[in-house]
This record gives sequence, C-alpha cells and structure tokens, in this order.
Amino acid sequence: MPAAQIDRTLVLHVAKLASLSLVDSEVDRFAHELGRIVAYVEQLDALDTSDVPATAHVRLDRAPWRPDEARPGLTHEEALSQAPAVESEGFAVPLFVE
Amino acid sequence: MPIESSVLDIAGRVQRGEMSAAQATLEALGRIAALDGPIHGFLYVAGDRALADARAVDRRRARGEVLGALAGVPVAIKDAICTRGLPTTAGSKILAGYVPPYDATVVARLRRADAIVIGKTNMDEFAMGSSNENSAFGPAKNPWDLARAPGGSSGGSAAVVAARMAPCALGSDTGGSIRQPAAMTGTVGIKPTYGRVSRYGLIAFASSLDQIGPLSTDVRGAARVLGVVSGHDPCDSTSLDVPVGAFEAACDRSIRGLRIGVPKEYLAEGLDPEIKASVCSAIDDLQREGCVVKTVTLPHTQYAVGSYYVVATAEASSNLARFDGVRYGLRTSGDTRDLRAMYGATRDTGFGAEVKRRILLGTFVLSSGYYDAYYLKAQKVRTLIARDFADAFREVDVICSPTSPTAAFRLGEKVDDPLAMYLGDIFTLPASLAGLPAMSIPCAPTATGLPVGLQLVARALDEETMLAIAAAWESRSPARGMVPPQVAAQMAACSATRVPLDARSAPPVVPTDSNRPSRMS
Repeated sequence: MPAAQIDRTLVLHVAKLASLSLVDSEVDRFAHELGRIVAYVEQLDALDTSDVPATAHVRLDRAPWRPDEARPGLTHEEALSQAPAVESEGFAVPLFVE
Repeated sequence: MPIESSVLDIAGRVQRGEMSAAQATLEALGRIAALDGPIHGFLYVAGDRALADARAVDRRRARGEVLGALAGVPVAIKDAICTRGLPTTAGSKILAGYVPPYDATVVARLRRADAIVIGKTNMDEFAMGSSNENSAFGPAKNPWDLARAPGGSSGGSAAVVAARMAPCALGSDTGGSIRQPAAMTGTVGIKPTYGRVSRYGLIAFASSLDQIGPLSTDVRGAARVLGVVSGHDPCDSTSLDVPVGAFEAACDRSIRGLRIGVPKEYLAEGLDPEIKASVCSAIDDLQREGCVVKTVTLPHTQYAVGSYYVVATAEASSNLARFDGVRYGLRTSGDTRDLRAMYGATRDTGFGAEVKRRILLGTFVLSSGYYDAYYLKAQKVRTLIARDFADAFREVDVICSPTSPTAAFRLGEKVDDPLAMYLGDIFTLPASLAGLPAMSIPCAPTATGLPVGLQLVARALDEETMLAIAAAWESRSPARGMVPPQVAAQMAACSATRVPLDARSAPPVVPTDSNRPSRMS
C-alpha cells in the first residue's frame, strides 16, 4: 500500500472531486485528521489478501429483478414541492451551458 | 398508564378497549412535554397529527374492526427515516425544513399495524457518529446522566425510549448505531440481518451496511416491532424475500443446550474491567440456565475499524452526492451563474464537520491511484471478517460480548478526536460488515449506576435464537426494570397529581426550543 501523504494539495483535490468548497481553516484541519485516520487504516496492509475475494455486498449473490411494470409514483407537484428553486415546472439551476 | 407500559401492554389494552389509542398518545405527549426539554431526544413532536391518527384508530375499533399488532402504540422514528408530511432532517442543516412526500416502507408498515408515529428523534448528522454530538440541532442527552452522551447515531431514539417517552422507537444501524446507544441507555436494540428490513425511505449512509431496527424498553416489544417492519419489499432491491420470523414466539423458547461463543478478542485488554465483569457474569448465568459456553476466535477483529471506515465512507461519499441544492434541502447560491460553485457552497454550508470528514475520506479511498490500495483492500478484509463469523458459527449458535468497551462517556470527551471515537465501535462493526443480526440488551449496571450492554450476534436470518437468549437473560438480568432515576422521580410526581385523562381534551403543549427545526403541528 502506498503511504499516502495527506497534505493541503491532496485535501483540495479530493474536496474538488466531492464538490465541497472548503474554507481555508478546514483544509489544514482535515489534512491533519485524515492523515491520522489513513495512517490507522494502513494497518490493513499487514494482511495478505492476494487470494481473498472482495465483499461489496453481503447478501446480493442473487439480486432479483422485479417486473418492469408501471406503478403510481409521486405527482409532478409532489416531486417539485421540496425544491429550493422551481421554474417552468422544473428544478431551477444556475446556467451551466453558455 | 403505569410507569412501565410496554409495547405489548399498550397494544393489548387498546385492542381490548381498556384504553383508547388517543389516551396512549396523550400520555406519551404529556411525558414528552415533561421530560424532553433537557434530554432533547426529539427533533420534532407530531402533536396534533399523532392525536388525529390515534383517534382514527379508535374510530376503527368503535366500528368493530380488529386492530393491528401495534394498536395505539406510540413509536418514535429516527429522523433519517422518511415520514410523509412530517419533517425529516437526518440531523443535518442541509435538510432543515425538508418534508418528505412519501413514507418509508417501515413507517407505512407501522401505520398499517395501527402504531402512532409520535415524533422524529435526534441523531448524529446522516447517522455519522457515536455520541449524538454531530447533530446539527444540538445533541440528545443521556437520561441516566444529562452530562453524558446517549450514544449514536440513534441516540435520540434510545434516549426517548430510556426516558419512557415512548415504549419503542425505530433506529438505523450501519456500524452499531442501534446497539451502542441501546447499551448506553439501558434499552433493547436490534440490528436485523442485512436485507431483513426494507431500507426504502431511509436516508442512505452506507447502503451495503445500513439496516433499520427497533429499540424498546423490553425484548418482546422489540420483537413485535421487528415482526411488523420486516418482510420483502419490492422497493428495495436488497430486501430479502424470506418469511418473517416468529420473533415473539422465539422469546419463550427454551435456551437449554444452546451454544454461546465468547470471542477471546473481545475480552482483551482495553476493555473497561467493570464492563468485562458485568458481561462475564451474564454469560455465567446463561451457562447455569443450561447454555453451553465456548471460547471462540474472531481473529480479524482488530481490522474491523479500518475496513469499516473505508467501506462506509466510500459508500457515503457516493450516497451524499445527491445533496446538491437542486431537488430538496438547502441551497446556498453564492454566484448564481455558476453551477459548480453553487454545489460547493451549498455542501460546505449544509454539512457539518464529521460529514465532510467522511465524504473526503470516502472520496479519497475511491480516487484514482488509491482505489485498490484502500477501497479494494478494505473489501477483502471485509471478506475475512465475515469468514471469521462463518467459522465461529460452525461451533456455536450465538456470540456474546460487550456491546461497547465503555459505559456512556461524557459529552465533549471524545469530540475532538475522531479516531478515538471510531475505535469505540470495535465490538459492533464486525457483525455489520458480515451482515449478521445483532442486538444489545441491558446487562448489570456499573457501580455508578450507568447501563452496560450485552451484545448477541447470530447467524444470518436467525434472529429467533438471538431473541430466545435475550428474553431468557432479560428475565434474570440485574438491570431488569431499571429506569433512569430522574425519569422515575418525574413520573412518580406526575402520577401523584394526575387528573383522569379525557381523550377529547386539547393536546398538551409540546416543548419548543429555538434550536430545533420548526414544528408543523
């Protein structure tokens, strides 16, 4: 396992991937805390897992498909009822295509 | 309603017409008004809506209809579980004011069984925490000592049940979030087998681990609630299509000859000696009742915290991507012409520190260059932990241990040390990673009178054997019937001055607190 160096640059990179605009004081704090947590996690390295399969989900070896049938769902009004901004019967978002 | 009104007691009396559902609801609302101010177990009290629901149940009985298994039973719901028309925040500022347009499957099933949804309970934000201190609305307190944490993340549900404001509640458990608060508050809490209970309508934290389950004042009450909320649900693709167990009947089964495994790794150094003595004494007692006690080994236990905090945060970082200020919840605009800036500002303002920490960790372990080394590695270790249990369950029927290495700790004690907080979950995480059913029941109290939890873990889908042992232990536990002293005193004072309740009277005033989300009714 590569010992990851959790510094400001890495925290800012990960925050960008996670769509989090951290304030400056948070960056240093998270770099310190995540560094400690990741160092702890690296103890998993002591285990030889080369022949061990990964478990993504414990009981999903036969996930069933349900029939593709139309069923009642939320109304248009219900679906929009909790939106912070609504326009023309849709979710309003800032412009993202010029 | 006497001080100790269990789920079965209330349901039986309402079904027989000895008490109305409205009376049971008013009693609960009265207790909430009297007790919840300092405890802060509720984020929202349903008040008028609960009373209207109760009167509807009473009208059905008056028409001669047979009432359901939870007739008139007040149930508190963890605020991570969607309730149509009642605010649901998951303890987060990003969802303050959110009112779901649908009921979670478990809530719909409770209502079908004629239970009364009395309110929404406090929790660590998005169920991330072990102390309730990560609630954006201020923590719930432990009714046994208001300076101590009720545990987390379902700490509000546990506090509410411990203080007898409701005989039962729903919580959710990802790495111990039902069992650990149950242990810290002297209540019974069950995490069912993964897939036993539908997750539809549960605000997701880590989808391969999350499971909804009951907390109750007693084992049979928890068993009944579990029976009501269990069962296949086409709305959750991980819901198992298996018969609902005979959970209540299992509480009367003989435990003679059942084999109890005691994992040697769980009773190792670092465990509070008082907790160890309390748990060992319970195990000795079960042996005297005819159980066979064996030492077992779960050799990968020490890797559970590392594996869990990679797997769970990876899933959380993906699940919480949906909170972006578009379809529901908070939006912090900043520059309204920039979509990505709106996402970033909304999430930075809306999420608390622990949620951001876990999103960052989860995003990191899934990121290019680190995925195999951390995420894949943690999933492989998860397999080893599951194999540990499979091996142990070849020799024993139930595994018995402490639920938590300490009794309730003081608020503020661990809040600045996230890693120390994570390490406290060592006994509950392994069963979560393996998807096994597990529960916490009150053991003997500590010398200072704080509750201690005894954890039982069973084979997948064998909640019944676990419940048989839990019920047998409960009937002889030194913690049996213990109520927090201040709660007992308050209730004794209430009973002394109580006037006969009229179900048609106005609902009691519920406490208000500017620190809480607005109340609807």
